[in-house]
Amino acid sequence: MQPLLHLNNVSKRYGAVRVLDGIDITVADNEFLTILGPSGSGKTTILRIIGGFEGIDGGSLMFEGRDLSAVPINRRPFNTVFQDYALFHHMTVAENVGYGLKVRGRPKAEIAKRVAEVLDTVGLGTLGGRYPAQMSGGQRQRVALARAIICEPRLILLDEPLSALDVELRAQMQRFLKSLQRRLGIAFVFITHDQEEAIALSDRIIVVNRGRIEQEGAPEELYRRPRTPFTASFLGDNNLIPGTLAAVDGRLCTVDTAAGLLDATVDGPAPATGSAVLVAVRPEHVRLDADPAAPHGLSAEVADVRFLGANVMIELLNPALPGAVIKVRRLADGSVAGLRPGASVRLRWAADDAALLQMAP
Amino acid sequence: MKQKAPFLDALLGLVAGVGLIALYAPLLATAALSFFQIVRVRGKLGFAPFSLDPYVALLANGEILAALSTSLVVATMSSLLALVLALMFAFYFVSARRGLGIAMQTMVFLPFLLPPIITGLSLLIAFREIDLGRGLVTIIIAHVVFIVPVVYRTVLVRLQLLGSSLTEASLDLGASRVQTLRYVILPQMRPALISGVLLAFAISFDETLITLFVAGSQTTLPIRLWAMMRVGFVPEINALATLIFLCTAAITFAIGLMQRAGERV
Repeated sequence: MQPLLHLNNVSKRYGAVRVLDGIDITVADNEFLTILGPSGSGKTTILRIIGGFEGIDGGSLMFEGRDLSAVPINRRPFNTVFQDYALFHHMTVAENVGYGLKVRGRPKAEIAKRVAEVLDTVGLGTLGGRYPAQMSGGQRQRVALARAIICEPRLILLDEPLSALDVELRAQMQRFLKSLQRRLGIAFVFITHDQEEAIALSDRIIVVNRGRIEQEGAPEELYRRPRTPFTASFLGDNNLIPGTLAAVDGRLCTVDTAAGLLDATVDGPAPATGSAVLVAVRPEHVRLDADPAAPHGLSAEVADVRFLGANVMIELLNPALPGAVIKVRRLADGSVAGLRPGASVRLRWAADDAALLQMAP
Repeated sequence: MKQKAPFLDALLGLVAGVGLIALYAPLLATAALSFFQIVRVRGKLGFAPFSLDPYVALLANGEILAALSTSLVVATMSSLLALVLALMFAFYFVSARRGLGIAMQTMVFLPFLLPPIITGLSLLIAFREIDLGRGLVTIIIAHVVFIVPVVYRTVLVRLQLLGSSLTEASLDLGASRVQTLRYVILPQMRPALISGVLLAFAISFDETLITLFVAGSQTTLPIRLWAMMRVGFVPEINALATLIFLCTAAITFAIGLMQRAGERV
């Protein structure tokens, strides 16, 4: 099926600085796609290129198979929700929301009707007569959304729209955004640096780092099966243990580390044996075995036990892995009640829960 | 907490007070003399009782009224023309490459910063070279030349403050450049536009030296005032000076209000 939007091998530079390099992104109809990356990764530049605020230096930008690179901002069938909302402060909320229809020369009666509908959709039914300065941050956010959806774009671009809101409001707006996207059936391209937000909202996440795509996939896939050290450590907590690949048997890999042989699984083609790799295992996937002499796994000494309510976070050290703190998250039940710093334990995990990562070349 | 320094506060107050008195005493004296004329009674100087006679005489003076109307026409026309030019220069400055923008800005500022006598003289020579007869048109051109920088500065500051995000939002919603200018940029800049025009109006209204070079047979109010002084002092001069002062003060006050309104947007 032809994608709605296709960025094909896009590159962009500012002077001598290459900000995007070989970016390939497709957006499907009705999809909630998140572009996730740290600040300076180039994610906002990607959004500005789609919106038409920036040109590209290489590659192509296609919308339903048509080349978009020569189409100006105001002729692209997309609308943007800006990070600072960029509301027109001299207009009322209703005038802000109706602006897109007004500049298209629609009749006043039609504009008034659509504005009322859209304000209802975003839950601001009675506030059309107010000015943006008279509204709270969350309400302004909804005005910006209403203004973006009124022209029924094929795609909405959202540039870290929740970053200015406090934690509680942010969670509420996340639920609202997700349900709005479902109801409207419009593709959302959402930019954020917040991995929890990305996981909670997205159908698909593209992880960007230093102007390149690190990995893309469904949130669960990215979380469970990271393929690069960056993705493994940027999305949630991860223990990364370095070693060399000793043996491969199908998906199952044996990694020779300073602390002994460890099991992991690989997605796609395995690297050559003998190459430098990392074993990535989530703190919640590590099991503790009180018998330090049990076969397989990693022996370690408890350094710290932190009670977090439902969970405990246990930090452990292995003398063969200097500087590496191994983190283990367990339910705070009886099995960890007696655990004290200084205790020797054995750490084990299912090979399926440990991802083999190739070191960056 | 603000530190209290009574001695320093008192000293600053004193300096400011003396400064203000030095600035305003001559104006107050002029205003007072326009209401209470000095008269010689049996060989002694004294003040006449309160009277509006100089103002009545002023309004009856056809030459002064003609000069006033010339001044109003010149100030209105030149400040509006300057506004249009200043807007164009300011838009150019924010969109052009930095070097070109600064070169343009220097050229805009120079006529204002040069000694008026140089600006006036060069305008006079230029008008003669292109064979433009001196009169209302040359006065307006000359005024535009030296008030554009003032409007430009006011407009540019506001434009830079607006930034690009509102323009981007407007284009993103499907508006053309012209619609963006009309519905978003100009309304957001209105306080700056009004205060720029008022400032330009006040400066144009008061300008004398450059106008002298290019006026030809036309007479603006300051030139009329200058001419009256040369042939001998009459009480109307005090009245006229007082009126000009009051008008300028009112305009300045209005500019202050506009700038506060601009900060709120």
